[in-house]
Amino acid sequence: MKGKRVDKKTIEVGLNQFLSDDRNLVLGFAKEPDGVSHRIFKNELGPLSLFNPYFGINGAFFLRRMFSKGQKLLLLLRPCEIRASVELVKLTQTERESIIAVSVDCLGALSSKDASDGLPDDYKEIADILASSEKVRPACKTCKERRGIVGNAGIRVGQDGTLWAVPYDEKGVEFCGLFAGDNEELPAAMLVGEATKTEPFLSDMTEFSKDFAKCIMCMNCRDMCPVCFCIDCVFNGNDYLPKGDALLNKIFRGGTTSLPSGKELFHLIRMFHVSQTCVGCGACEEACPQGIPLTKYFKGISERLQGMFSYTSGRNVEEQIPYLTFLEDELKDAAD
Amino acid sequence: MAEEAKKDIPEIVGFACSFCSFKASEMAGSLRMKYPEGIKIVQVPCSSRVDPAFVIKALFEGADGAFVAGCHPGDCHFIKGNYYTRRKIAALKEMFKAFSMDKKIKLFWVSASEARRFVEKVEHMYKEIKEGNNEGKKG
Repeated sequence: MKGKRVDKKTIEVGLNQFLSDDRNLVLGFAKEPDGVSHRIFKNELGPLSLFNPYFGINGAFFLRRMFSKGQKLLLLLRPCEIRASVELVKLTQTERESIIAVSVDCLGALSSKDASDGLPDDYKEIADILASSEKVRPACKTCKERRGIVGNAGIRVGQDGTLWAVPYDEKGVEFCGLFAGDNEELPAAMLVGEATKTEPFLSDMTEFSKDFAKCIMCMNCRDMCPVCFCIDCVFNGNDYLPKGDALLNKIFRGGTTSLPSGKELFHLIRMFHVSQTCVGCGACEEACPQGIPLTKYFKGISERLQGMFSYTSGRNVEEQIPYLTFLEDELKDAAD
Repeated sequence: MAEEAKKDIPEIVGFACSFCSFKASEMAGSLRMKYPEGIKIVQVPCSSRVDPAFVIKALFEGADGAFVAGCHPGDCHFIKGNYYTRRKIAALKEMFKAFSMDKKIKLFWVSASEARRFVEKVEHMYKEIKEGNNEGKKG
């Protein structure tokens, strides 16, 4: 595989050239006085940061129902965020043509809840922070794809710290064309390697109920999930989670109930609904005010269910989501 | 007393396709075959109408088991609906396997003429769940 050797300066020059067109935008991380956050750049590149040691929101969250009118949006985000954006393209929540997705190698991240001042944007310092901290997010500890090999192009970090811009398709070639330099052969080993395979997730209802006992049903996990996109969610309204009069009716019909009711129902149904599209970014856990280990369940289940169909969410934009397609000759033992 | 006797009867919610499995259950009735009274069938226009959320809701709102019944693969009235069902319910079973609850969900293929097969399948499921419930009470 070939790529271009770039550095921060080259990237800034290239992106400024990209932004000189009025219709082009860049969504990436920006170094703000009070930390690193997502920012959409227009006209000129501000304080761009390629890396972000803290994870708060999945950037693909902002792409939902973002339909361009001729504009182009360049994403410079973590692999999990790019993968979520790919899933949103498949779910027709955003337009494929208007997005150039560039994944940047990720070293893992700390929770934004543990954010402190003096954020570094250099990969070496981030690696040091992560190595010295025990607070690496559970989602990042079990991440299955940290390499920037998804989307149209990737920015990879070599073992010696050189940055490489690597195209994966035509749009990626266009992106790499922004930078000066020649295509060179990539080194075989990069700083961020392949993730180790994990055991299939196994739990039971006792453990599940115990973990979710703290849930207050605020539904922040649903609202902050990048791929939980339905406008008309099944949990809005009284069908699944009755409120008010409907709750009263249910109690008269079915008897005593604990409140808030339907915790298991809510999480299991949501777990199934996002099972094929979950990218395991851990935005749900980040949003949870009660510190419930959501990633453990959502990621475990989604990996298990995606494995059934040899599918990985966000790997390839051409792949169809398994529930929306089928093979005639499969799952012979599904029926009892 | 009546309450307790009621509790011994497991309740099973079934989602049956109106073109085959539901017809089979009707045929079982007209042939005077019997299946346990705890089995409550919901008629759906196609087995792929069943969002796994329905099954999860049935189980967490009091049912002891739930099944989805549709036409044999390839025989769907809507050409390919039951292929989607197969994927969805197989994935749902896999999810419940992770929580060691996979015995509560079943997927049946029953065509309109297979009244006997329908009765056998639901009776077998009913017995399994009843035994499971009794064991749970003893332990």
